Amino acid sequence: MTFTEILQRLQAAFPDGGVEAVEDALLDPAVRVRADLVHAACLFLRDEPDLWMDTLRVITAIDRPPDAIDVVYHLLSMRHHHTLVLKARLPRETPAVATVSDVWASADWFEREQFDLVGVDFTGHPDLRRLMMPVDWVGHPLRKDYVRPDVYHGIPTSRDRVVPVTQALPPQHQAKAGPETDLMLLNLGPHHPATHGVLNFLLETDGEIVRRAKPDVGYLHRGIEKIAEMNAYAGTMPYTDRVDYLGGMFTNQAWAMACERLLGIEVPRRAEFCRVIACELNRIASHFVGTGSMAMDLGAFTPFIHWLREREKINDIMERICGARLTYTYMRIGGVARDIDAATLEMISAWMDHFEPICSEFDRLITGNEIFVQRLANVATLSAEDAISYSLVGPNLRASGVKWDLRRDEPYSVYPELEFDVPVGLGWRGHVGDCYDRLIVRLFEIRECIRILRQAIAMIPDGEVRAKVPRVLKPAANEAYGRVEAPRGEAGFYAVSDGTDKPYRVRIRTGCFTAMPVIDHLSPGLLVADIVALIGSLDVIAPEVDR
Amino acid sequence: MLRDVATFLERLLGFDPATFDYSWVTAVVVIGAASLLAFVFIALFAGPVTWWERRIAGRIQCRIGPNRVGPQGVLQWLADGIKCFLKEDLVPAAADQGLFRFAPYLVFGGYMATFAVLPFGANLVAADLDVGLLYLLAITGLVVIGILMAGWASNSKWALFGGIRSAAQLVSYEIPSAFSLMSVVLAAGTMSMQGIIGQQGAWPWEWFVFKNPFLFAAFFLSLTASVAEGNRTPFDLPEGESELVAGYHVEYSGMRFLWFMFAEWGNLWVIATIATVCFLGGWQVPGVTPAEIAASTGLAFWGWQALSFAVFVAKASVLVAFVIQLRWTLPRLRVDQLMITCWKYLVPGALLNLAGVLVLLAVVPDQGVADWAIRGATLFLGLALASVFVWKARAGYLADRDLYRRMEGKELWYPPYRLP
Repeated sequence: MTFTEILQRLQAAFPDGGVEAVEDALLDPAVRVRADLVHAACLFLRDEPDLWMDTLRVITAIDRPPDAIDVVYHLLSMRHHHTLVLKARLPRETPAVATVSDVWASADWFEREQFDLVGVDFTGHPDLRRLMMPVDWVGHPLRKDYVRPDVYHGIPTSRDRVVPVTQALPPQHQAKAGPETDLMLLNLGPHHPATHGVLNFLLETDGEIVRRAKPDVGYLHRGIEKIAEMNAYAGTMPYTDRVDYLGGMFTNQAWAMACERLLGIEVPRRAEFCRVIACELNRIASHFVGTGSMAMDLGAFTPFIHWLREREKINDIMERICGARLTYTYMRIGGVARDIDAATLEMISAWMDHFEPICSEFDRLITGNEIFVQRLANVATLSAEDAISYSLVGPNLRASGVKWDLRRDEPYSVYPELEFDVPVGLGWRGHVGDCYDRLIVRLFEIRECIRILRQAIAMIPDGEVRAKVPRVLKPAANEAYGRVEAPRGEAGFYAVSDGTDKPYRVRIRTGCFTAMPVIDHLSPGLLVADIVALIGSLDVIAPEVDR
Repeated sequence: MLRDVATFLERLLGFDPATFDYSWVTAVVVIGAASLLAFVFIALFAGPVTWWERRIAGRIQCRIGPNRVGPQGVLQWLADGIKCFLKEDLVPAAADQGLFRFAPYLVFGGYMATFAVLPFGANLVAADLDVGLLYLLAITGLVVIGILMAGWASNSKWALFGGIRSAAQLVSYEIPSAFSLMSVVLAAGTMSMQGIIGQQGAWPWEWFVFKNPFLFAAFFLSLTASVAEGNRTPFDLPEGESELVAGYHVEYSGMRFLWFMFAEWGNLWVIATIATVCFLGGWQVPGVTPAEIAASTGLAFWGWQALSFAVFVAKASVLVAFVIQLRWTLPRLRVDQLMITCWKYLVPGALLNLAGVLVLLAVVPDQGVADWAIRGATLFLGLALASVFVWKARAGYLADRDLYRRMEGKELWYPPYRLP
């Protein structure tokens, strides 16, 4: 359905003038909805059979002093392949809008984050607490008039003042007397081998059985969205690597795509192929860590080491491509930093010849191991409906049986020219959407990446790798959403420009962020060891959650 | 000198030298010497075996492993030990001080005490008790108390989890372990370790493992159960590093931590020894009977001791290597699967085995034609299984060799039998 048709349907349903198209010529046409109609409009959009906006991509609040705050909902219909941007303008003094957390389960955390960082009050939200910042933090950091407090509990917030450690005491942790309960509270993390970074889960356990696992995030919150507002467009590129340290190429590309849409830059064809080759190599490397560390979480140390051996070789190739092994900063707005030379392409082909037989080595070692299968099959099964409602993306969504891949369904770059399959969970050893499916989908994807790489290397044309781009980038006031299929699902950058050389607002949407509330949803009744398997199978990376 | 010590003790204690029985002094000295020897053996076994395990792990994981301290890194365990000695001995402020400090010794003591009855050679045994096997099963119960104590006294929820898991696991797996060893007791007619060995012979067809199919199954049951009792992968739930961080010893540091590690690797030897004694013919040397060894004197006597010791260590080492390889190959079971494995499969299996051994003992006369036929059939079964495994290992090696050729374009640099 086109935007105009959707707009007509909405206006027919809400005839009193509460719904109108945003008049500016935006790259993504948007609908402005009166604040009191947001909840009703969202329900309508979700439930109408020919609209079927089943997925909430991201909620963004934009502070527009002196008098307004915009709340932007990016909606997507996986069934009908159409998208919609929904906007509501709230008064800045009392920014309140009805929650949509009962429409899409993923809205819960999106709204908590926007409440925390921008200070929008989502009325009716079941649990509106701060998500990233400490509970007693003052102010909302993404407001334009935000002034950073100099000290927090005696700790200076600036690097300029160095205070001896003895003076900088952390806030006293107070044990809260909760209601009487037979459950034991157990902190899994922030420092725990199974959390893959600094994450915390508050487990309520009854012996070995977990009644609830509440994720607690924000330990790695670096405020990259805020940093991006202070930097020029090109200057934000190195920060995007740090959003997802295992898939730096993808966050690079998503940011580059958002900026290129804003500036109307056409990327040379060779550069697109360079991007695809770099990204698919990166995807393999990321899945190595994902699947390998999953085996390690279940007590098998050896498969992880075998995958790391192969990852070293990819790192060597990456070093030739972009000079870095982890934080690549390879993409540029309008192309890539440098060409992939013939020798490197030869190296990649040689590595793939060497690697393909090794795929089966991993299967022999662990995938078919009966203990391993028993640990994962039928554990933490997630239905397709829940996966969509929680806005899961990438392999986690596909494991639940939903065949949705941005490379295939919202094609970008040169992916339409390449031939590849999208593996989905079929209940390989248990039910569709269990932990084993989430593992096996990733293992199949590694093989698909090899297929894509072989085609891309054969097809890569000669030519420039960078478009002619002005030295200072000043896009006109507009907004764009750039998104790619990253190893952990959709990596999206929503960039709002205001005509200056710095973005007005940047919103980063990552796959891991929406995967976290799923753990809360699936945890009741699991064993402690299953929680570890679940976290591993979702391939959660802490910096991607917190950004 | 002995007399001097005795006189000194007597003067101290006020006994009359003329009427006093000197045998207890001898006993004290002998027990002290035996304990010291056993401790030295544990230290000399547990230390290098950590290095050995890490080298095997390195080979399995395509890396080298410790190779810096001493030739090929053989002294790595000494460096580790010295490092642990020099670490600060931390006791959490909220821990139960007394229990926390005491627990490691209880765990170590439980393992150490088993060495009292474990034989090393023809006459190399500290105490050949009549109830040796019973003593062995009983004394390892100390370990459960120690681990539970460590888990509770640490005042950490993770440690408590480890302690509780360990108690449940050890108590459960005692049962199949005891039942499968009981079938050996039935076949041997004695609980003495040396007696059990004496009932077997040096050649494989004289071992209990090949005596009949039920004992053959009992060997694997008992080995599985003792791997579980030793908290080794795939049954290492009490310490599972990715779930419980380190389990019951998560709060320990320095020398106290080392005692736990001592017990863990020392226990490898205990696992291997019990299986060797009960099923694999112990230290028996082909061509000579225990009576002939006992009757020999002087240099010949000690020669036979050394030879039997070597045979025993060789058999046990093969089993140790097997248990180590398990650890670096298999993932960990979940806690409910662990209990299912024990109560649904191992316990009924062990009971059936016991009944089977009883029936065969009652029906088949010892050393008769039927007995030898059963032995032959079981040996054939064992050889068939072994050859299947060797064939599969060979196929794996050949596949790896081809892979290596493709990967690196050169020949595999190690023969299949050599450690890197």
